[in-house]
Amino acid sequence: MTDQVAQISYPSEERGLSTKHREWLAGYLFVLPDALGLFIFLGVPMVLSLVIGFFEVDGFGGYRFVGLANYQRMMRDPLFWQAARVTALYAILLVPLLFVCGLGLALLVQKSNRFNSVIRSMFFAPHVVSLVVVALVWQLMSVDKIGILSRLMSALGLPGVSLLGDPNLALLAVVAVSLWFLMGYYMLIFLGGLQDIPVQYYEAAEIDGAGPVQRFWYITLPLLKPTSFFVLMISMVAAVAGAQAFDIIYVMTKGGPANSTAVLIIYIYQQAFGFGAFGYAAAMASILVAALVLMTAILFLFTRGGRFEHA
Amino acid sequence: MNDSRTPTGKTAGVSRRSLLAGTAALAAGTVTGFPFINRMAVRAQDAPLKFWQFYAPGGQVASQVAWFEKTVADWNDSHAQKIELEYVPNSEYINGTKLATAFASGTGPDIFIISPGDFLRYYNGGVLHDLTPFISEEARADFPESVIANRMVDGKIYGIPMEVEPMAIYYSVKAFEEAGLNENDVPKTWEELLDVAQKLTTPERYGIVFETKPGYYQNFTWYPFMWQGGGEIQSEDGRSAFDSPATVQALKFWQDAINLGVAPRQVLGYGANDATANLGSGYCAMQNVGIWAISQLTNNAPDMPFGVFPLPTPPGGKYVTVGGGWAFVANARGRNPDAAGEFCAWALASMEQGSIDRVVNWCTEAKSDMPPRNSALEAGGDAFNRGVMGVFSQEIHPGTRAEPRVPPEVYKIISDAIQQTQLGGADPQATATAASQQLDAFLASYNGAPIL
Amino acid sequence: MPRPHFFAPSQARLLQFVWMAVSAVLAAMTLFPLFWMVSIAFKTPAESFSPNMIPAAPTWQNFIYVLTEVPFLRYMFNSFIVSATVTVVALLFHSMAGYALARLRFPGREAIFLAIFSTLLVSLPVIIVPLFIVVKTLGMLNSYAGLIVPAIFNAFGIFLLRQYYLSLPRELEEAAVIDGAGYWRIYWSVVLPLSRPILAALTILFFLANWNSFLWPLTITADQNLWVVQVGIANFQSQYSAAWNYMMAASTIVALPMLILFVIFQRQIMESIKTSGLK
Repeated sequence: MTDQVAQISYPSEERGLSTKHREWLAGYLFVLPDALGLFIFLGVPMVLSLVIGFFEVDGFGGYRFVGLANYQRMMRDPLFWQAARVTALYAILLVPLLFVCGLGLALLVQKSNRFNSVIRSMFFAPHVVSLVVVALVWQLMSVDKIGILSRLMSALGLPGVSLLGDPNLALLAVVAVSLWFLMGYYMLIFLGGLQDIPVQYYEAAEIDGAGPVQRFWYITLPLLKPTSFFVLMISMVAAVAGAQAFDIIYVMTKGGPANSTAVLIIYIYQQAFGFGAFGYAAAMASILVAALVLMTAILFLFTRGGRFEHA
Repeated sequence: MNDSRTPTGKTAGVSRRSLLAGTAALAAGTVTGFPFINRMAVRAQDAPLKFWQFYAPGGQVASQVAWFEKTVADWNDSHAQKIELEYVPNSEYINGTKLATAFASGTGPDIFIISPGDFLRYYNGGVLHDLTPFISEEARADFPESVIANRMVDGKIYGIPMEVEPMAIYYSVKAFEEAGLNENDVPKTWEELLDVAQKLTTPERYGIVFETKPGYYQNFTWYPFMWQGGGEIQSEDGRSAFDSPATVQALKFWQDAINLGVAPRQVLGYGANDATANLGSGYCAMQNVGIWAISQLTNNAPDMPFGVFPLPTPPGGKYVTVGGGWAFVANARGRNPDAAGEFCAWALASMEQGSIDRVVNWCTEAKSDMPPRNSALEAGGDAFNRGVMGVFSQEIHPGTRAEPRVPPEVYKIISDAIQQTQLGGADPQATATAASQQLDAFLASYNGAPIL
Repeated sequence: MPRPHFFAPSQARLLQFVWMAVSAVLAAMTLFPLFWMVSIAFKTPAESFSPNMIPAAPTWQNFIYVLTEVPFLRYMFNSFIVSATVTVVALLFHSMAGYALARLRFPGREAIFLAIFSTLLVSLPVIIVPLFIVVKTLGMLNSYAGLIVPAIFNAFGIFLLRQYYLSLPRELEEAAVIDGAGYWRIYWSVVLPLSRPILAALTILFFLANWNSFLWPLTITADQNLWVVQVGIANFQSQYSAAWNYMMAASTIVALPMLILFVIFQRQIMESIKTSGLK
């Protein structure tokens, strides 16, 4: 990945290291604390997890090398494939919705005034509360017959709908709650990105007679590219492997009814902590990470790491 | 035994722990030097043993917390090896990562509590200490076979039950009256149950609640319906017995309740084990729930009169219900397994009056449960025979069969079968056949302790 | 949103009114489940599950119980210490790394970025056992260090800051370079002040993430004195039932400081760009 941005021409230095080497050194030193911490607390565990995927583990210290057996088991395990399908569906539904809603809300409340600042806080408010607790509240609101959402459906001429108890609906319901919970978060990130766009661009466009739609299409969207890239990457990872998706599903449905909301991370959790099959769980986790690497790499290449084309 | 890092048996190649610890130590060592690792090894020999459970101060029921505190305080007063309580919130204890992480990294508690659903996982993992040497013959005989059998392997005891929690059906007296029913209309058969449930169903209320969330608990509540028609998970010859008319009719029974609209697809609150949230709130008129609901309802829904009756039976079936309950166990790889085992026996399985009283206390004051010991049932006397408790001890409890202990794989196969038929609308016969084939495939390669 | 000069003044007013109405309705819908939570916090146990929104007999009893019968203030103190420390340290480290990854040129930069990014792809449940062993090896079990240190390192913040620094105008930095400033000084006195909006946003996100974290604090602590708020809330679930009234009351108490934090910091996010002289 060649780099064409951030080229600052620094005056050359006479003494000590050459300018180039000074910049190298500064770069390494600036990255060092985080790189070290990430290596110890995430890198090492990730590698260990990958290694464990080649072992049969009983969860009590028993440990036997089995080569690719866990991966072979995965290929034959219908529940793994079912979970993979559910995960893909969940992500395909959630990621675009999050992007559109996050950006939409950000545009809605972008202008700085007191009214908007209240509205912004309201959109963000779900995020302030513990996910487990709000998931319980949603469960209460969607319970059969007497839940307020079920009453609403009845009033709309759809009686007897069970949002979380019907295998055909439960995933949609879970996506809706995930969207509700996460959109304020992405709104905030988009707001940050929108604030970066120099207002002169809009002024120039307005003078040229561009309408709101054109301004959005030709200024906002292109200049929002680094943020958009970030949001797409993060929301994709969040949908596929995120702790929040896990919490919502785990509290609301435990993967049911009939495995219809059992995403991979739920199945992995169940294998590891319910059944003590740490080896099998680690193997599935490795596959999940590999799939994410593939997807993010494609996205990365497509958008050149979210950098601008010019510069 | 002065160091938790001593090798713990199982020497098939490198132990996973040492490999993990080694790699981690290497990573850690490169940045921090090694002093930390040495510090870990220097652990005082007489440090208190850790006792993990989920009855933490600040939780809901003060009398349960007090019982644990008093038990440990009494032991510490009279013994050199001290014990210390450590708490894990209940939902995390049952479904969380905490215990699994601790055991996987060799930092499990010295004493803990388990349910029958977990027994085989821990036993097959080699962490359950044999408690038989600490229990006298007389005390052993004090535990009925139906209570102790699923905690035993090859005639040895690996867990001491603290309670027996049989399942029954509770009903709201008010809902019955509203529907023009009284205690004589209490259903005796499955058909009658669905019929009564239909009468009790209103636009605001369901006739009956069965558990709907997948989990060990749902399986637990479903087993008696399978047993009543003579169904079993496993036959005498060790093969799957799941594809039987009894299993199919039990799956169909729960499916019918949903299809008739008399049972909900979602329950309120924590789950169908929560009587306050479902029966107490008026969400349902009858609820399939265990003996613990007595104290739930009397404490949290005092204005709601309720009754209880034994599980109804299918045509040609025989009454049976399932009894759950937790047990004290000692970690065989803990710092002092013998002292831990001695504690378990001292607390719950000694013929001393203190031990018997402790069991009575737990089952009457801390909880509303059936005691796991004959002597405690006698000593409790009237407490077990009053009111709804009386219905349990006289009508419901005598038909109790212990909660089966099954390996996780078996649990999952059965859970999926229940979910697919109950909520997924799958054909019961085809589902039972498919599940049975999966069970056979698993059982052929299973070589742990017997499934009961 | 750019000012709609496109429309006549009366149209513009109408548009603005519709705009505000839409925002308000959407926001109210978003808040609805939270009202429900607060409502349960004022209900009695028997009423917790009833479908009515307004409590029949509102009571403060749940709040009193949470604050007096349970060491809840202790849990809040722990959560505060952990969240504040993690946030401050993480902001420093992440902005340093983000700056270097976006603005400095050195061999292996993209590789390092990708390696850092890859750590985003695993979630905690997947690596919790190996992580626990690492932390145990470092002797940090059951301590504040164990609660704090592993929570600092998170690629999310680095990634977000890098994206932000990529889009900062170059001229600002160049002025400092011409003055002959070293990299630390450029970072400290030019880049950091420019990052105020994004750092304000991250402060909210980091603080919240740690304030509401549950799984790791639960796994790493055995001592009840080290419990954080979410573990305390989980403890209101007993074996067969959950005291929803207490859980909701506790959650309301826990959410309030966060809402205040958000209100304070969002002003920073929205306004500081103006003061930086960019516009």
